[in-house]
This record gives sequence, structure tokens and C-alpha cells, in this order.
Amino acid sequence: MTWPLLSTVVFLPLLGAIVLLALPRRREALMWGWTLGVMLVTFAVSVVLYAAFDSSLPSMQFSEQAAWIGGLGITYHVGIDGISLPLFVLTTLLSPVALLSAWQSIPTKAKEFAVLMLVLETSMLGAFVALDLFLFFIFWEAMLIPMYLMIGMWGGENRLYATVKFILYTMAGSALMLVAILALHILNLQQGGGRSFDLFDFFALDLSLQQQKLLFMAFFLSFAIKVPLFPFHTWLPDAHTEAPTAGSVILAGVLLKMGGYGFIRFCLPLFPAAATAFAPLISVLAVIGILYGALVAMVQPDIKRLVAYSSVSHLGLVMLGIFAGNLAGLQGGILQMVNHGLTTGALFLLVGMIYDRRHTRLIADYGGLWRQMPIFAVFFLVVMFASIGLPGLNGFVGEFLILLGAFEFNRGFAVLAALGMILSAVYMLWMYQRVMYGEVTHEANRGLRDLSAREITLLAPLVLLMFWIGIYPSTFLRPTDAASAHLLEQVRSRAVLAAPVSAALTPRPFPAGEGAVDHAGGQTP
Amino acid sequence: MEAAALLEGTAALLPHITVLVTGLVVLVLDLFLPPRGLGQAGSRWATEAVSLVGLALAFACALAQAGDEPRAVFMGMAVVDGLGTFFNAVFVLIAALTVLLSAHYVRREDIRPGEYYALILFATLGFMFVGSSSDLVMMFLAIETFSMATYILAGLLRDTPRSLESAFKYFMLGSFSSAFFLYGIATLYGALGTTNLLALSQAMSAEGTSPLLLMGMGLLIVGLGFKVAVVPFHMWAPDVYEGAPTAVTAFMTAGPKAAAFAALLRVFAQGFGAPAFSEEWVPIFAVLAALTMLLGNIVAIVQQSVKRMLAYSSIAHAGYAFVALVAHNAAGAGSILYYLVAYTFMSLGAFTVLMIVARRDDQRHVFDDYAGLGATNPALAAIMSLFMFALAGFPPTAGFAGKFYVFSAAAQSGYYVLALIGVLTSVISVVYYARVVILMYMHEPDAEAPRIRLAPTSVAALSVTAFGVLYLGIFPGGVMQLAARSVAFLFPG
Amino acid sequence: MPLSWYLVFGALLFMIGVVGVLTRRNVIIVLMSIELMLNAVNVTLISFSHYLQDLRGQIFTLFIIAVAASEAAIGLALVISMYRGKSTFNLDEVNVLKW
Repeated sequence: MTWPLLSTVVFLPLLGAIVLLALPRRREALMWGWTLGVMLVTFAVSVVLYAAFDSSLPSMQFSEQAAWIGGLGITYHVGIDGISLPLFVLTTLLSPVALLSAWQSIPTKAKEFAVLMLVLETSMLGAFVALDLFLFFIFWEAMLIPMYLMIGMWGGENRLYATVKFILYTMAGSALMLVAILALHILNLQQGGGRSFDLFDFFALDLSLQQQKLLFMAFFLSFAIKVPLFPFHTWLPDAHTEAPTAGSVILAGVLLKMGGYGFIRFCLPLFPAAATAFAPLISVLAVIGILYGALVAMVQPDIKRLVAYSSVSHLGLVMLGIFAGNLAGLQGGILQMVNHGLTTGALFLLVGMIYDRRHTRLIADYGGLWRQMPIFAVFFLVVMFASIGLPGLNGFVGEFLILLGAFEFNRGFAVLAALGMILSAVYMLWMYQRVMYGEVTHEANRGLRDLSAREITLLAPLVLLMFWIGIYPSTFLRPTDAASAHLLEQVRSRAVLAAPVSAALTPRPFPAGEGAVDHAGGQTP
Repeated sequence: MEAAALLEGTAALLPHITVLVTGLVVLVLDLFLPPRGLGQAGSRWATEAVSLVGLALAFACALAQAGDEPRAVFMGMAVVDGLGTFFNAVFVLIAALTVLLSAHYVRREDIRPGEYYALILFATLGFMFVGSSSDLVMMFLAIETFSMATYILAGLLRDTPRSLESAFKYFMLGSFSSAFFLYGIATLYGALGTTNLLALSQAMSAEGTSPLLLMGMGLLIVGLGFKVAVVPFHMWAPDVYEGAPTAVTAFMTAGPKAAAFAALLRVFAQGFGAPAFSEEWVPIFAVLAALTMLLGNIVAIVQQSVKRMLAYSSIAHAGYAFVALVAHNAAGAGSILYYLVAYTFMSLGAFTVLMIVARRDDQRHVFDDYAGLGATNPALAAIMSLFMFALAGFPPTAGFAGKFYVFSAAAQSGYYVLALIGVLTSVISVVYYARVVILMYMHEPDAEAPRIRLAPTSVAALSVTAFGVLYLGIFPGGVMQLAARSVAFLFPG
Repeated sequence: MPLSWYLVFGALLFMIGVVGVLTRRNVIIVLMSIELMLNAVNVTLISFSHYLQDLRGQIFTLFIIAVAASEAAIGLALVISMYRGKSTFNLDEVNVLKW
């Protein structure tokens, strides 16, 4: 038997958390060091995994399956493919970054914080690799508790309102998903498939269009709240504004990706006909989200809220790519999820850094920072350009691919989405101008410390990756090639089989053949 | 009766007899041990040790019967089968945990240990006979046995008005519901000429439904509905649970509730299990389950006292177990047993924390008393959070696994709406369970809040319950398999 | 006399007991109403037992009488300790807890 590499990565942080519980509370430096060490080792192992991954195969790799709960046919089944791999590594990367960002800004209960971060990492990693729906649901729900506690214990003034809203929204979504998972299980039983919660067994189910639509909606609500897709986004700005920096980074960087990942992994292949039928509707919501998020972001006086609304806008774009139903859109969506994790994570870090210095997030309280904190200003500039989608940086590649896919799907949507991207340039640049340029309007801003070595260490790897993806994206796109094409093939073949009528009615939902566009041209700008 | 039959019956009821003898020994011991002065501490330890040893023996006897062929003893009054054996083990476990968690409480509130532990053991005996009864007469006597013991337990703090009031309300509604239960038995006896559950189900299959029979069924639903505290027969529960001594409340949320479910399984799943009859009671139960889940969870939100909140939560959890009864299939019956075990750990654990936080005189039960517990007592707060999240049904805890089994059983029988109500009310429940966690971690403690020192027995009770909650949540398969095997005979084929 | 008369008698007694428990506020009367309900069951059981020519109903009645006696013992004990504390037999004055 080979060493279970995947489980090692998933459970290393949890193991670290258990050891951490035994460490004495007073030795703070030891606790931080241990936590950071565990997270770095986890990251290192995940990089080994990335290197060992065979990107030419569309199937699951590093699969592990073991009996778990016999009576219901639940197994511990994990595996990773090109779709989950980038997000998986993103998680192991962002976790230590988020932890490091909290090193000085978490004054109390450091032990609790470190334990929660480690537990959170395990549950996020687990959710990305689980192939048994029961297992997935467990990780999915387990994610909520640490995030909830993190916002509640170290959050801002309105944290109680934000935590309750966060937990109620996300729980309500997952409640329906649980019932849908049970329904799949029972359908599998009725169709003679035996007791199972395995994703691959569910692929073989024969579902009518009606069943698909119902089940799709149950899953949809859960994932749409998580993404968040307009109009299910209202918990996000509150949660982000109140969360501590580390929480915001994880929330924006990884947790929101769960939604998009859920759509790709579960909604599309399980209910292809329903996905096809609903694609136009979801795209409309996504486009509304892009424009709405950008417009609301423009008028925010609070930098953190501005970044939160920009997330709504960016993730609308991701959704548009995923439901465009072609390879460019799908791959763009996956890449853009990674990009958004890097750039928005970095943006929240930067906001957190000036917040630590000035304890305000209002744009009006700043001005003229360029002269006071030049290194900070440069980092902010790069990250902002990445977020806007300047060529040469990561955002451009993802957005380009998504627009390419969306254009193929529906020209109107593509045009509107492009408009949203222009708006994003407007609010970002305007914010930058008000914060960085001009005279110093507040005396408190004079003589602010520039970034420390720790803060630069935090941002450097993220910025490096932004350039890397921007200049040579194939490193990150190639692993997703085979899996994405395979997924689309799966959706297309079964969507037609299951519901020929609806497929014919929908305007070019999954154009055969041309969807598998050779994206080589799009790889290097 | 012949000597051989008597001997066989005695052997079959060995777990029950062990508990009975232990109770009697504790009672007699109490007469000879010094109640006050220097010997007091020794008397308490002796009583507790005897109780625990007796319960351990009973547990061993119950385990020894696992896998035995089902057989009726004492002229069809009692039965030894998987269901009875499983319940015996559960009840003994509940009693042992109660002894552990009460040890500190008995000392703090100065309760006479002899009567307290003897009553716990006699109540346990009653539970066990409910689980093993195959005759309605037997079941009635068993229910009365444990009811009377719990009436007294609830009123054990004679000098506090709350405890007395709780006992009196419990007594009144308990005997009121017993009368309904009895009237139901009388009606069934009139309709079919027997009170034996097996004979009943055979006679019913032969004769079909009749108005008298349906009336009897309805009266039994009312009588047992009161015992389980299912809406609309729940109104006694919050007051009784709030007023009773906290250690007793813990016992009452676990024991009598599980016993009432044992009775429900015996009467409805076994006695009225045939399709012709189940279609009469299943819709009623479905409505009761939905009402219970909704009301229990919604009213719990507005409570000011954590103890009263947990009382409503206990009502709500009975609703979840009821859903499994509605499913009326093998998976459902198994999941009731699983749910009861899971709930036992969660509830006893949570009440242990309550008991510790309440401090002397059992007073501090409002939400604000939990403010800042995370700062003053990190370990206690962490374990309380575990129980709260478990009760709310978060994975990977027993609460989630239990609900998952229940809802999947309901879905299997096509009750998707009920499963959906269950899942959505669980979401509602997060509001009030999380409130405790919020207060513990996100508020500042009282200036004078002292650091609480935990008694070793309380630590033991908390460790066992916390371990149970996590183990059952992560590896639910083993216990579920046992549960499924225990009820397999109810749904052959 | 036909069986139904006895049954109706039992049912009436039972209803009187139920109404008594639900409406009367004097503790002693409530206890008596509960006893009435149990005795209504006894009447029903005995008449069925006679009608079915089956002794088990009557044996059950003996059990019920025993149980009723012990229930009364507990009930009265509770009433006495309540009276010691509150000097009242009125249920409405027993209201530390929300009813």
C-alpha cells in the first residue's frame, strides 16, 4: 500500500491542532511557531502532490477509499483531479499567510485562534477532495464553526449581527443540500444501486428532468449562498467587514471558492440537463451580480466593504464562466477562482495592515499615503492592477478566458460582463487615488511606519504568483485541461440524453465540438 | 408456575434483578452509614461505589444477552429480545452517567445520597422493564415505577419552592397521562380480549380495525405523548425541567424520554406495526413530529434561562426521534435507538456543565451567567461549545449523525417534507445554541466571576459524554449496526 | 344490563375526572379527580372482564388499585410539603415557574 499522500495533507493541520491543545498557553511564541510550522509543512507536502500530479489524466488521482459507515454504504473516499488541485494548493498557501497576518493583530486568546485556523484548514482541504457526498457534507459544515467563532471572537463591533447572519444563511443553504443528498441516496437505492453516497455511483443515476431540476435547486441554493451569487450575497459584506484580517483572507480566498467548486464538481455533472436548463437564468444573475457589485463598491466609504463588494462582482464573473458551458469559460472560471483568492486575499491583507496602524477603514480618513508608505503603495498598486485585470498580471488571463467563453455562450452577457470589468477599474482606481495621492489630510497619517519585514514576507509570495500566472499561465492551466474537458464531455453527453427537448429549446447551451476550443492562444497574452 | 419456568425467567431478567438488588442494597446501606459528621464523606463514596459496581454488573449481564434468541418469560409478561437488550444497556449507561455527574451535586446541595441513588436505580429498573415488557399491564406497571421515582427525585430539594412545584406539576400531569394510557389499555382489552402485545397484533390482523380499537390507539397516543412530551402534550416539560434539581433534570431528559420511546416502539412499531394499522397512526405521528420540531425549536429561541432553553431543546429532540417513528421502517427503528444514545450523551453532558456553572444553590441558569466563560474557564467553555454544536446537529458530532440517520430513514419512506422541516428547524436551533457559545467567547466575564474548580467525578462525566459525542459522530457505524440488529425482528424481510 | 351502559358510565366518570383536573384549582380536588379517572378505568376493565369471561381484566384492576394508592401517597406527600412552604391549596398560587 502506498502512503496516503492526500489524507496526509488534509489531516496534518488537524493533528497539529491536537498537539497544540497540549501546549502551554503562556508560551505564545512556541504556539505561533508550531502552528506556522505545521501549515508550512502542509503546504510543502501539497506542493509535492502538485508536482506528482499527472495532468494528462482526466480522472481522480491519489484516490483513497476505505469503508467508514457500513450500514449506509458511506466510505472515506477522497481523490483529486485538475479541478480541485489548484484550489487545494491555494488553500495550503493562503492558510499560513492568513496565520502570519494575525501574528500581531490578535491580542487575546492566541491559542484558540491557532487551533481554529488549523481545524479550518483541514475542513477546507477535506471539502475539496471528498468524493463521497456524506464526507463532503461533513467537511462543508465543519468549516462553518471555526469561521463563525473566528468572526465572533476577534471581529469588529457588529460581529454578533454578522455571525448570526453568516451562520443562518449558510446553514439554510446546506439544509436543503442535505435533503437533496438523502434523496440521491434513496434514488440510488430504488434504482438498484444499493446503499451508497459515492459521487461516482450518483453519476450513474437515471434522473428525469423534473427530479434533476428539484435536486439542482437544492444544491444550487447552498452553493449560490456560498459563492455568493446575487441576490444571496447580503451576508458577505457584513461578514467581511466584521471579520479579523485572517478571517477575511480565508473567507475570500478559500471559503467563497467552495461555492464555485461545488457547482463544478456536483451540480454540473450530477444534473446536466437541469444545469443546461438553468444556465441562462444563472448567467443573468451572475451578470447582475457583476454590475451590482461593482456599482455598490463604487460608493462604499469603507475600504473593506469596497473589497467585499468587489468580490461579489468578481465571483459573478466566475459563475458566468462556469455556466458558459465551454472549455474556455470553465477553465477561466477555475483560474479566476484562484486569482480571486490571491488578489482579494492580498487586498484584505493590505487593508488589515493599514487598519493595524490607524484603526480605521474609512477612505476619507486617509490620503497622501504614497509619500508616507512607499513600499505599501507599490504593493497595493500591483495587487490592485491584478484585481482590475491588467495584462501581464493574473486577473487578465482569467477574465479573458471567461469573456471568451461567455462570448461564445451569449454575446450580450459578455458585453455586460466586460462593462462590469471597466467599472471595477473605476472604483479601484478612484479608491487608490483617494487613499494614496494628494496631500496628507490627517495628521495621524503623517509618519506612518512602512511595511515591516513580516508584512513583506506575507505579500511577496502572493505578488510573485500574480506575475507568474499573468505571464506564464500554462503552469496553472495545464493541470486543469484534461479534467475540464472530461467534465464538459460528461455534461454534454448526458444533458442531451436526459432531456432532448430542453436542450433544443435553450439557445446554444453547450455547443458541441466548438466548446472544446483550443485555448492555447489564450494562454500567453 | 413451574420451578423451571421461574428459574428461566429469573435468568432472563438478570440485568433487571441486578439493578433492583443494587437499589435495595443502597437503600439498606443508607440506614447503617453515618449520615452526618466525619463519616459523611465515606458514606457518600460507599453509596456511589456500590451503585456504579451494581450498574457495571447489570451492564455486563445485559451484554451477555446480546444475540440471544427472542423469548417470552413469566407467562408472556416480559420478553428478552434485541430491542429489550439494547434498551437495557442504554438505561444502565444513563444511570451510571447520572451517578457520575450527580456526585458533585449531591455534595454541594447536601442531598442524602442513599435515597437519591436508590431512587435513580429504581427509576432505571422501571425503564428497563418498559423496554422488556411484552404486555401492556407490565408496561403500565413499569411506567409507574419509574414515574414515581422521578416524581420524588424532582422534588428532592424540599426546601426550594421551584423543586417542589416542579415535582407537583410532574406528578399531576404524569398521573393524568397514566390515566389516559390505562383507559387506552382497557379499551384495547375490550376490543380484542387481551393485553399481550403479540396476541394483540395477531388478533388485530385477524379482526381488522374497529372504532373501539382506534379509540384505544388514540388514548395510548395521548398517554405516551405526554410521557415523551411531544407537542401538544408538552406543556408540563419546560416547567418541570426548569424547576427540578439540575442533576435530576439531566436524568429526566435522558431516561424517561428513552423509556417512553421504548414504549412507543413496543406498542406502535411492534403491536400496531401491520400496514393496515400503521396507516392509521403514522399520519397522526407525522403531524405531531412536525409540530414538536417547530414549536420546540421556535420557543427555545426566546428563553432567558439556559436550563429552560435546554428543556425546549429536549422537546425538539423528541420531535426528531419521532420522525424516525413516522418512517416506520427498519432504518427508522434503528435510528431511534441511535438517536437516543446520541441524545443521552449530548444532554447529560450539557446538563453537567449547567450544573457546574449554576454553583451552590443551583441558581445561576440565565444566559448572562455564561458571559465570558471562555476567558475564565476555557476547558469548560470548549466542552460546552462541543455539546451545543452537537445538539444543533453540526458534524462531526453524534447530533449530526443521529439526525442524518433519522432523516435518511424518513426520506426512505418518502417523508421528504418531514425531513425538510427537520433540517430547517435544526437551522433555527443554531440561533439559540450559538447564543451560549457567543456569550461564552464573545462577552466579557463578570468582574467577580471566580475560576470554577471541577470535581474529578464531574471531569469523568464530562470526558465520557464528550468522548461519546465525538466517537458516535465520527464512527457512527458500529453503534448503528448494533441498533439495526436489535430492531431487525420488527421489520422482517 | 347491557355492556354499553357500564362503558358509558366509565366514560362519563373518566370525563368528569378530566374536567376536574383541568378546571379545578384546589389541589386536593385535583388529586381526587385523578383517582376518579383511574376508577373509571377500573369500571371499564371489570365490565369488559365480565363480558369477555376473562379474569385478567379484574387482576389488572387490582394492580391499578395498588398503583393508585401509591400515587396518592406521593401526591399527598407533595401537597403537605407544599402546604408547609406556602400555606395554600390553590394551584394558581404555585407559580414560581411560568406554567
